[in-house]
Amino acid sequence: MIVADGLRKVYGDVVAVAGASFRVEPGEIFGLIGPNGAGKTTTLKLLAGLVEPTAGSATVAGLDAADREMRRRLGYLPEESPLYEEMTARSYLRFFASLYDVDRETADERIERTLDRLDLAVRDRPLGNCSKGMRRKVAIARSLVNDPEVLVYDEPASGLDPITTNAIIEVIRELAADRTVVFSAHNLYHVEALCDRIAIVVNGELVTQGPLDAIRAEHGGVSYRVDTSRPVDGSTPVEPGRHRTVVASMADVEDVRAAVEAAAGELLDVRSHEPSLEEIFLAVAGA
Amino acid sequence: MRLRSVWRVARWEAYDSGAGLDRRALTLAAVSVVALALLVPLAASVGPAPGDGLYRVGIAADSPYLAPAEAAPAFTVVAPDARAFAAGRLDLLVRGDRVQVQDTRLGRAAAGALQDAVRRYDERQLRSEPDQAAAFPVTVQLHYVSRPVDRLGGGAGSQPGGSTTGTAGGPTTSPASAGGPASRSTAAGGGAGTAAAGGTTASASRPPATATGGGTRSGENAGGLTVFGWSLFPQGAAGTPSAITPPFPFASLVLAFAFVVPMNFVVQAYASSVLHDRGNRRGEPLLVAPVSTWSLVVGKALPYFVLMLAIAAATAVGLGAGPLAVYAVAPVALVFLAGGFLAGLLARSHKELTFVLVAVSVVVTTFVFVPAIFVDVHPIAAISPLTLVVEDLQGTPVGPATVAFSTLPAFVAAAVCFGLGGGLYREEDLFAQKPLPAKALDALAAFVTRPARAGWASLLSIPFVFLAELLAVALLFVVPLGVALPLLFAAIAAIEELAKSLPAYAGFARGRFDRSRRTVALVGLASGVGFFAGEKLAATAQLVGLFDLHLGRIAFQLGAGVGGAYPPAVLAALLVAPLFLHVGTATLTAAGASRDRRWYLAALSVAILVHVGYNLAVVATLG
Repeated sequence: MIVADGLRKVYGDVVAVAGASFRVEPGEIFGLIGPNGAGKTTTLKLLAGLVEPTAGSATVAGLDAADREMRRRLGYLPEESPLYEEMTARSYLRFFASLYDVDRETADERIERTLDRLDLAVRDRPLGNCSKGMRRKVAIARSLVNDPEVLVYDEPASGLDPITTNAIIEVIRELAADRTVVFSAHNLYHVEALCDRIAIVVNGELVTQGPLDAIRAEHGGVSYRVDTSRPVDGSTPVEPGRHRTVVASMADVEDVRAAVEAAAGELLDVRSHEPSLEEIFLAVAGA
Repeated sequence: MRLRSVWRVARWEAYDSGAGLDRRALTLAAVSVVALALLVPLAASVGPAPGDGLYRVGIAADSPYLAPAEAAPAFTVVAPDARAFAAGRLDLLVRGDRVQVQDTRLGRAAAGALQDAVRRYDERQLRSEPDQAAAFPVTVQLHYVSRPVDRLGGGAGSQPGGSTTGTAGGPTTSPASAGGPASRSTAAGGGAGTAAAGGTTASASRPPATATGGGTRSGENAGGLTVFGWSLFPQGAAGTPSAITPPFPFASLVLAFAFVVPMNFVVQAYASSVLHDRGNRRGEPLLVAPVSTWSLVVGKALPYFVLMLAIAAATAVGLGAGPLAVYAVAPVALVFLAGGFLAGLLARSHKELTFVLVAVSVVVTTFVFVPAIFVDVHPIAAISPLTLVVEDLQGTPVGPATVAFSTLPAFVAAAVCFGLGGGLYREEDLFAQKPLPAKALDALAAFVTRPARAGWASLLSIPFVFLAELLAVALLFVVPLGVALPLLFAAIAAIEELAKSLPAYAGFARGRFDRSRRTVALVGLASGVGFFAGEKLAATAQLVGLFDLHLGRIAFQLGAGVGGAYPPAVLAALLVAPLFLHVGTATLTAAGASRDRRWYLAALSVAILVHVGYNLAVVATLG
């Protein structure tokens, strides 16, 4: 479980995170989305205990984020894949396993199993000679070497090809079955597909959070596009002889019908429209 | 900090990371450095031979100069050829006992070199005489006695460093003549005479030196430096009185480089490793691991420290030194590593790192090297840990107080530097691209989280202040007193005011303190009191006789306010006056720092002037 209570982080004059509060239950996948520089990464670093909050607190796996013991229960994946290029995947993962006091036998078994699951065959080549996708997989494996309860992942599939991305997304989905996962991403399709709940971060503030359906309902919900042959109040021309009006309910659709028929026109088309996460994001972030 | 974590990090650093080097390269580098440490003393024993075969000399087979010339490496001896000489292909032409000198600078230099070669040859011949009394009819015994000295150089009121008393007795040397080599008296070569003097000390408690004949093999050189059986500096030598020279610690010069040079290479690797962790945020996962910052810091530094000690131990074994020498080098190694650690944390690129490391190396080497020049001459040498090495090599007993004085400041300085660096070993500072001064302020600000901490920061700055002031004393040691004193006053004032005010400035600049008058007063008070408390530690300087040095007395009694036979009221005032000074100037600079940098610099300038005025007043009181 993760509980963030009024988390705030200020760098000099810049407010990176302005009082973020949210809760992630065990077994839940929580997604953070927002524009670049919104404060997503800083929020994740606060959860991981990587930076000290200016105000507020965070509890991860039952322990304060500043507690070093909390780190034993946490798997953290930073936005980049910082690895030691001269080390091989095995030696790198063994080293981190030793830091987490995982005994050698358990570590080797866990490392092999995780690398098998991530489909990484190259394990004894220096990491500097590995591709970006391979390095990302090794970084993910590192976050799992201690078998953590909580995963905090910052853009886990950023910059990867679709095949690798899908593989990583599937791994996250499997991991989430018995773990708490918080991750940030720019690919809203993955967020929609994976997350139980979402938070949108803009300028350091969590402007909205909750299940996707609730967010949709909060920001407009289902709308109707009514095409008419003649203009009515609030309509916009689409093409010659076609005008579109967007309304929120079927009752409004009837009002449009009455208006166009009064103008000696006719209703051409009515379609319902559910806003995508991207549209909601653009509407919220743009506002 | 857990030892197990430290060991794991250290093992990884040594075998798997190593600043980007693989195991093979690391092994090769380690072997090269150890070999260098072993070979340097050997090379020193063989000596440089840049002038071999420099002079071409034509000498007849029947000339008495043939043997001396052939024995001297500087000469290339060929058959005498007047045409070759006329054509300028020979520098000297020797027929019989007649020497023709080519009218060139090289020719004149060759003539001087021939004279020296003849002199050395004669000396060797005389030393091989069975009847040494006949060979050296006059013996001179040098007794160095201690006396108060201000400096080695001249000037009103100055005394030469040590004096010699010769005792005439026994056979005398044969008089010099202008004839051939067999009849010339010999003068001790510069090296031998220096070495003989180098084996003596300026203290009456140490055995006198004797300028008598002696060999160059180690078996006959008690207390001399030997390397693999060869004596670097023979203890006994024969020569004319004109060849007697004051002791010059050539040994210290060689030792300084032998011990310190390898450290420059090792610290480069260490600092590169620290910077490597910052590149592309490679070290970020370490900060999320359940390992304390200090486990990471100590674990990363440990292999390099062990390597430095191993190299120092190998060098010490080669020079015939003991454990004291290795212990004495340990704080130097730690200071190097601490400087490298800070350099790695503050530099923004490898290019910047190189410049910072050069600065660190110059400062540390200067601190180690300059005072050690005066080993066996003056107690000021005790400032440098390297002096302990020299004294260990000479078999001179060293008291625990001297060992503590020589090593503790460096140990503490290294600890403080590592502490400052530890404050920067966090995500917000490791991966931020900031200018060096900004990061230095961050390091200080990480510590001064409240006004009382400014006091602790001032107190912990004492080792650096101590070292900086000792260095100022050592550098001004040879300057005439009339010039040295004002410079020393200004240097002391600047050093101390900077040390007291920087933590306060860092706290205000980084928003650790609010800018109210109350906070300014608290910060000034804490800083001044902390510095005053730490300054009392300067009284330990008395343990090693630095108070015998006029300059040292001034430097340390200005702050310590002790010593001397003065009325109780004066003593009490001198004891408390520094407190008022430090609190006053610290408050002044804190007030400036609470506004902005320009105000801080202005306040600092005023504080320095006030401090200089105080120094003058104290000196006038002390007389």
